[in-house]
Amino acid sequence: MFVSVDEALKLAFPGCEVARRAAFLTPEQVRRARDLAGVEVPSALVNVYTATRSGQPAGTAYFDTHRVRTLPETLMIVVDPQGKVGRIEVLSFREPEEYMPRGAWYRQFLGKGLDADLQIKRGIHPVTGATLTARATTDAVRRVLALHRVLGEASRP
Amino acid sequence: MAFSFRRIGAALLPLALALALVPAALSQSAPTEDRVRDLERQVEQLKAEIAAMKGGSEEGQLAELERRLEVLAGEIEKMKIGEAAVSADRSENGFGPAASKIYRTERGISIGGYGELLYQHVDEPEKEVIAVPLQAKAEDDDEEEEEEGVGDQFDLRRAVLYFGYKWSDRILFNSEVEFEHAGNEVSVEFAYVDFLWRPQANFRAGLLLLPVGFLNELHEPTVFLGANRPDVEQRILPSTWKENGFGLFGQAGPFTYRTYVVNGFDATGFTDDGLRGGRQGGGETKAEDLAWVGRLDYTGLPGFLLGGSVYTGDSGQGIETDAGDEFGVGTTIFEGHLEWRWRGLELRALVAQADLDDVADLNAALDLQGDESIGEKLKGYYLQLGYDVLSGRLPGRNAGQALIPFARWESFNTQDRVPTGYSANPDTEIESLTLGIAYKPIEQLIFKADFQNVDNEAGTGTDRFNLLLGYVF
Repeated sequence: MFVSVDEALKLAFPGCEVARRAAFLTPEQVRRARDLAGVEVPSALVNVYTATRSGQPAGTAYFDTHRVRTLPETLMIVVDPQGKVGRIEVLSFREPEEYMPRGAWYRQFLGKGLDADLQIKRGIHPVTGATLTARATTDAVRRVLALHRVLGEASRP
Repeated sequence: MAFSFRRIGAALLPLALALALVPAALSQSAPTEDRVRDLERQVEQLKAEIAAMKGGSEEGQLAELERRLEVLAGEIEKMKIGEAAVSADRSENGFGPAASKIYRTERGISIGGYGELLYQHVDEPEKEVIAVPLQAKAEDDDEEEEEEGVGDQFDLRRAVLYFGYKWSDRILFNSEVEFEHAGNEVSVEFAYVDFLWRPQANFRAGLLLLPVGFLNELHEPTVFLGANRPDVEQRILPSTWKENGFGLFGQAGPFTYRTYVVNGFDATGFTDDGLRGGRQGGGETKAEDLAWVGRLDYTGLPGFLLGGSVYTGDSGQGIETDAGDEFGVGTTIFEGHLEWRWRGLELRALVAQADLDDVADLNAALDLQGDESIGEKLKGYYLQLGYDVLSGRLPGRNAGQALIPFARWESFNTQDRVPTGYSANPDTEIESLTLGIAYKPIEQLIFKADFQNVDNEAGTGTDRFNLLLGYVF
């Protein structure tokens, strides 16, 4: 484990108030998120960490645990108020660290939104030797952005 | 009213299930614990809501609560089954740490593997002198057999199993056991222990893969194009090259490095065909002479890799001249490599050179004459270009698919310079062009087909056609 949930939230939202709420997706919402993401959405329960600074939205964080090769990793993916990726933090990575891309690789997600360019060999450069991690990470980012959009649609009047 | 209580009872049943499952899930490692705590809080919240609703709630709200409890129960169940493990260094369920090992096996042990099944057609095998892909006999010590030529082959070239174990987040073990040619040969590919300290400095000891070139450390079939590894990474950089040793590795800013002390080559295995026979491989190795190897890579730009490595040390291992004088056979290998992956494009370039001392003495000691001399200088390079024509596909179930036509040009010479009094054999100067295609139906499976046009200065190079199925899991 590299950082805990609390530490990751503090890194992402210094000086902010962070509130957690559980969102329970309907089967239709799960389907919609899956279609938007193009990857599986394995859970109907999503924990949403909303950060505010002086009452203004500072971003939303999600934690995504998924299998890389045979073992899981947990990522924190922060979506900024514009709906783009604001930060990615690796909380735990159980595979050998040889399969973990370097920090610079993760930075290429910053500012990206949910579109066709957000995939390996398009807007995301592949990384030799960590192919499965790269794909798992890209899938997780697409999943989180899709969930964020679906939950945003649900909260609109 | 009775109807409402039945509803509440129905709602509490999954709640009880959820609460019963929480303690089991609580024994898992930190991220899972956090999720379980979240779920616990939600269960408590729902419990309080149900209590508040007793006696007068609306049916719709109860139905929603039931649904939520179902979701929670499902989540906890998934965690229990899928991530049933605990942190590594504490006692569980009243057992001592060792006895409770079984409870954390899923977290601690990592298993994987890869393999290659190769069909190879060789044109005019009777002409073949050294154009046989050495991988067909890659780990054979019998160099004479390699030089006979083997004709067409269908071979389960490699089946490799990977085992790793994490005692803790900071101390872990990594290994690969390789079965070659359907089990005719078995070897440990690497086996080492890592002590992780901080990103900049970590310690590693064991049977190590030397950090040279692209393929010596990363040679799963899905990470390189072509059924055969580039010859330059077999003849000049003798992959798979593994030796016992220890050292440091880490990253600082955009740079990554590895630096090891390992046992040196055994020069009595060197031939005019290169240094492969001098690899000791970790078993009862001669350790009269040690060597140093270091590697530095720039990884600051996603998809871009620029780096190099140096190996230097004596290879004599106590060898003596007829007069009884020991000589060192100083051996230095350096290489530079560049990889650029941009969208569907993948470009690789590598240049390598080896320089040896005391070659005349070594030739005399090994009774090598004429054009049989070991090279004083060996050098080579290759350039490879591929493009994934499916790289523009939208994500989805087929997102891992790739179809990559590629071309590779290689030039190398294992006797670029020989000592005075010896001559170079023209068949050691080789150029080859490989044209092929690789198809990945999923990320972990690859089919490769390629044609290799091989020429040497003696005119005895033979072409080959290769088909390969590779897997990794």
